Amino acid sequence: MESAATLPAAGAGNSPGSFGALLEPVLDAAFGIALRYTRSRTDAEDLVQEAALLACRGFHTFTPGSNFRAWFHRILTNCFYTRYRKERRQGAELDLEETSELYLYEETVALGLHAQTRDPAAQVMDKLTGELIEEAIGSLSDEYRVVATLYFLEEFSYQEIAEVVGVPVGTVRSRLHRARHMLQKSLWAIAKDRGIVSELIGIPDQGE
Amino acid sequence: MGLPDRLTCEEVFERLDDYLDRELTPDQMRLVHEHLEICAVCASEYRFESGIITGVREKLRRVAVPESLRARISALLKDHAS
Repeated sequence: MESAATLPAAGAGNSPGSFGALLEPVLDAAFGIALRYTRSRTDAEDLVQEAALLACRGFHTFTPGSNFRAWFHRILTNCFYTRYRKERRQGAELDLEETSELYLYEETVALGLHAQTRDPAAQVMDKLTGELIEEAIGSLSDEYRVVATLYFLEEFSYQEIAEVVGVPVGTVRSRLHRARHMLQKSLWAIAKDRGIVSELIGIPDQGE
Repeated sequence: MGLPDRLTCEEVFERLDDYLDRELTPDQMRLVHEHLEICAVCASEYRFESGIITGVREKLRRVAVPESLRARISALLKDHAS
């Protein structure tokens, strides 16, 4: 779709023109990620703008043909940590640190949901709106919210997340796994708070 | 010492997150897959976790960059080029 304000057209090598051509296809994703990082539309816009300018100025350091998406999001993420990171977590201070694996699975088993339906995950997700999921992601502390956002929103690989965040792949692995477990606990707490958990009980089997 | 012939439920549990992310070696992926084929409990856990991950991804809305922001970035890049 043509836009009146498209980024400068493609050029050769590491020229400003080629930077614009590389940035264009990742801009929507970057904005979505910035939105989840900052939890503020205004800050997200400022963050993306600042990262774009930093990346343009540092474009001579980008290796042509390498992973521009990871390279740009590395700049975006560094900029977030440097300029936009809030000291305190927003929202409810739920203790997410000590969360077991299979948290949501165990909670739904205890509810009897797995005995009622062949697809308990679908039943749960059917009740959770996008807004609730956004709220749950927003409740994670910065380091977990960052990896969860990269993983869930844009399906970055472990290796890409490691490049973006600047930590070893092993750290990404453990941090992402914990983030997923914490997200489940946060989702369940929000669902209980909204009365959604009680709606899940007594649902007829949808699998037959 | 070679690879084990099969994994226990505990060993599959330890590998479940990596299996979900396809981040195990091919041999480990195969061993987990084979266990899930014969163990209903582990298979149930895997299906549930996988369903939650897929569901979260589907529900997260894609947000287009605002045109005003795109225009500001475009102007900045043109200024930088000049």
